Amino acid sequence: MIATIPSAVLIGVDGKHVSVEVHVSTGLPSFTVVGLPDAAVRESRDRVRAALLSSGLPWPVRRVTVNLAPSGVRKGGAGLDLPIAVGLLVAAEELPPGAVEGMAFVGELGLDGSLRGVPGTLVLAEAVGSRVLVVPEVCDAEAGLSGDHFIRSAPTLAALVERLHRRQSWERPRLQSDTLPTPADPTLGGSVSGHPDLSDVRGQRWARRALEVAASGGHHLLLVGPPGSGKTMLANRLPGLLPPLDRATALEVSRVHSVAGLPLPPGGLMTRPPFRAPHHGASPVSMIGGGTHWMRPGEISMAHGGVLFLDEMGEFPAVVLDALRQPLEEGLVRVSRARGSTAFPARFILVGAMNPCPCGQGGAPGSCVCSEAARERYARRLSAPLLDRFDIAIRIDRPDVDDLIGSRPGESTAEVARRVLAARGRAAGRQVRVNAELPGADLRRDVPMTQEASKLLESHMRSGSLSARGFHRVHRIARTIADLDGADDIAALHVHEALLLRCQRDLLLGKERQ
Amino acid sequence: MTTLDTTLAHAASLAGLPAMTPVRLSLVLAGWDPEEAWAALTRGTHPQDPKRRFAAAARTTDPAEVGERYGHSGVQVLLPNQGGYPSGLVGDPGAPAVLFCRGDPSVLEDRPRVAIVGTRSATPYGRQVAADLGRDLASAGVVVVSGLARGIDGAAHAGALGGADGKGAAAPAAVVGTGLDVVYPTSNAKLWEQVATRGVVLSESPLGTEPRPRVFPARNRIIAALCDVVVVVESHHGGGSLYTVEAAARRGIPVAAVPGSVRSRASEGTNGLLVDGCIPVRDATDVLVAVSLARSGRPAPAPAPDTATLVAARGRRSSTTNGSSDGASSVHSGSAVTEAGRSVLAAVDDTPTTFETILLRTGLSIAVAAETCEDLVDTGRLVAGAGWWSKG
Repeated sequence: MIATIPSAVLIGVDGKHVSVEVHVSTGLPSFTVVGLPDAAVRESRDRVRAALLSSGLPWPVRRVTVNLAPSGVRKGGAGLDLPIAVGLLVAAEELPPGAVEGMAFVGELGLDGSLRGVPGTLVLAEAVGSRVLVVPEVCDAEAGLSGDHFIRSAPTLAALVERLHRRQSWERPRLQSDTLPTPADPTLGGSVSGHPDLSDVRGQRWARRALEVAASGGHHLLLVGPPGSGKTMLANRLPGLLPPLDRATALEVSRVHSVAGLPLPPGGLMTRPPFRAPHHGASPVSMIGGGTHWMRPGEISMAHGGVLFLDEMGEFPAVVLDALRQPLEEGLVRVSRARGSTAFPARFILVGAMNPCPCGQGGAPGSCVCSEAARERYARRLSAPLLDRFDIAIRIDRPDVDDLIGSRPGESTAEVARRVLAARGRAAGRQVRVNAELPGADLRRDVPMTQEASKLLESHMRSGSLSARGFHRVHRIARTIADLDGADDIAALHVHEALLLRCQRDLLLGKERQ
Repeated sequence: MTTLDTTLAHAASLAGLPAMTPVRLSLVLAGWDPEEAWAALTRGTHPQDPKRRFAAAARTTDPAEVGERYGHSGVQVLLPNQGGYPSGLVGDPGAPAVLFCRGDPSVLEDRPRVAIVGTRSATPYGRQVAADLGRDLASAGVVVVSGLARGIDGAAHAGALGGADGKGAAAPAAVVGTGLDVVYPTSNAKLWEQVATRGVVLSESPLGTEPRPRVFPARNRIIAALCDVVVVVESHHGGGSLYTVEAAARRGIPVAAVPGSVRSRASEGTNGLLVDGCIPVRDATDVLVAVSLARSGRPAPAPAPDTATLVAARGRRSSTTNGSSDGASSVHSGSAVTEAGRSVLAAVDDTPTTFETILLRTGLSIAVAAETCEDLVDTGRLVAGAGWWSKG
C-alpha cells in the first residue's frame, strides 16, 4: 500500500514543496528513507516509531520505504516527521486515504507523540500546494499568515488521528488572512514593542535629535563618544521611534525570523521593527547569512525592516564590516554556496557606536593619552567607503553634572514617534519609503530648496568642505529635517542642522587638523 | 656631490649598523676615527665590542655604498670635530657622535635658540599659543627648535616659518626621531619640507629609521641640549615633553611653561611645572627675557635679541589683548554678533565644549544653535572641531 503526503522543506528563506511517499510491503521488517535526507530526516525514523507507539498506534512490522520527492533536492529539518507518520498510518491502512485528502502536513514529533513547531512554518506554508495545511498547534498563527490555506492544528499525534477520523472536531478552523493582526498603535510605541523608553535619557538633546532624524529619514547613524556617554542607551531606543511595519515588510520580516527560528510575537506577525545587536565577535557568516547544511539568515537579515546596532564598531573584524557594504547599498544580500545561492532581504538602519580612540577619551583635544600610531590604527578600522554610508555622525559626551541638574526630563518615545510618523507620511509622497533612499540623480529637481539654502550648500561645496556625494547626503538629511518641521521647501535653517549632523566624520575619529 | 667622503661614509655606516644605539655609537667612536673604528669592528678587535656584536654586519656592509646613498639623498653627516656640527652640542655629555642633517646647520649658530615643545594632543588654545610664540620669537631673531611632531611642535614650527621672513628674523630648526627620509607624522610632510628648505632638520637616526617609541625621548635630549631655554606649551601629566624638561633640568637649562586652565587635562603637566618653579610664559617677551638672562650667564655671549624687535613683540601682545589680533582672526573685527551669538560665545569654555553643552547652556533651539555656531566659525570667533567648539 502506498500513500503520498504533501509537505515542504526549507531552502534558504524559501520553502520547497516535497511529496512524502510511504510504501509498506511485505518482507523483512525495515525502515528506509531515500531522496537525499540529511541527518535530521534520517533520525525521524526513531522519533516516528516512538511517537506512534506512545500514541497507542501500531508500528507496521513490515518493509517500509519512505521517498522524499523530488529526490534531487537535499532535505533537512525535522518538519518531515509528521508527514512521514501520517503517510505511514495511511499506508498501513490505519487511516483511510480519504481522511487526508487534500491535506499537507508539517511538524516535528516528540517521543511522547506531541507535535512540535518547526522553524520557518510561515515559509513552509507558502510552499505547499494543498488547500488544507495541518501544523502543530504552537505554529498555527504563524502558518496562517500565508493566507492561502485552511490551517488545522493539533497538540498531539493521537489527537490529530482522532480528528482525521472525524471522531473529534478541529479547533478554530479558519482562513487566517481575515484575522491578520492590525498594526499596533504607533503612539503606544515603547510599551508595545517592549523597547526601553526615550524619556529615560537625561539631557542629550542633540543626540535625541539625531535619533529622531535617523528614524524619520531612514539615515544610518554613527555615534562616537567616550565610554559611559550613553551610546548604547540611545541606540536601544531607536526601534521604538520607528513606525510599525507595513504589511509587506511585516511578512518579509516574519518570514526571516521564522526561518531563523527566532520567536515570533503572539499572532505570528512581526509588526514592530526588529532590533539586532550582535556582539563584535560575530563571524562573517553569522552576520551575512549562510551555513553548510542549512542556509540561515544572518544578523543583517534578522534586522531587516528594523535596526542593526553594532556596538564597539571598531572591534568588529574588517571582513565583517566590509561585507556590510553591498547589503547597505542594495537592501538584500545574496549568499552563494556550492549547493546553491539564495537572497535574504537586508534593509535596515545601521547604527554604529564606537570610542573616538583606544583610550576612549579622545576626540576632544587635549584629553587623549593614546599614541599617534594607535589612534591612526583605530581610525582606520572603519574603511572610508563604510564610513561614507553613515549619513549622520555625531559625537556624544558625558554631560556635565552641573549642566544636567535642573534640566527637564526628555520627551517620551511616544511623543517623538508621533513626529516621526508624520514626517514619514510627508516623505511617502516622494515615491520612496524613506528620504535616505531618494535617488541622487534628480535630487535637485525633485526635492527643491529655497534659494538661500542652496546658496549655503553651494558655498560649502566651493570651500571644499563638502564633496559631491556629501552634497547629496546633506540634501537628503535637510529634507528629513524639513519634513519633521512640516516645511514644503528646504530652508537654510534645515541645511545648517543637516551640515552639523553630518559632521566631519574622519575628524570624529581623532584625525585632527593641523 | 653624489657621495660622501670616506670618513663621513664610515661614520654613517657605523650609525646604521643594526642594534647600534646612540650610547653604543659614542662609545665606539670615543677616541677613534670612524675609519679606524670600522676597521676594528670588522676585525672584531674593537675594545668596545668584546662580544663582536657588530662584526658580522660590518663585514657585509660596504661603507662606500652607504656614502653614495647618503650623497644621493642630500643628507649631510656631521661629526663633532668637523665643520657644521652645532656648536651648542659640543661638550654636551649626551651629544650624538654622528648627526644627520637636511638644510643649513649654520642657522643654529650665533643666535639664541629656544625649544618650543608640548603634547601631540594639543587643544586649539595650545596650538594658537605655540604658533604665536613661534612667530614672534622667529621674527625677534630667535631660532625656534622643536620636534616636528603633531600638536604643539607642528604649530610652533608653522608659526616660526610665518615669522621667519622679516629682517633680523631667524629660521626654524627641528630635531626629529626618525631617519631623515621617513617623514613622521605624514600629516606634517609639508611643514617638514619647509623647515628643511628654510632652516635645518637634524636627526641622530640613520636613513630609514622608522618611528619607534625609544627614539623620541632620546631625540628630546638633543632638543634640550641645543637650546638656551625650553618652553613647554601644553603637557599632560607625565607626558613625553617632560623628557625634554628633565634633560634640560639636568643640564641647568632654564625651563619655562605656558599656564593653562586648571581644568584642562592638556595643561596638567605645564601647570605642575609652574608650581615647581618654572618660568611662566605669557608671550614671546617673557621668553626673550628668559633668553637674555640665560645667555648672560654663558661664557660666549651671542648678540642679544634686538631691542626693536622686542618692542615690536610687546606691541603685538598689547594689540592681541585688545581683542583684534592679526591674521585669520582679524576677519571678525567688523561684523556684529547677534543675541544668539553672544549666548553661544558665553557658553563656550576655554576647554573644548560639545554641541550638547552649548544647547544646554544657551537653551537655544537646535536649528538656531547650529546656524549660530556656523556663523561664529565663519567669522573666526569660534573654532570647530569634531563635535566640539572652542574660542577662536
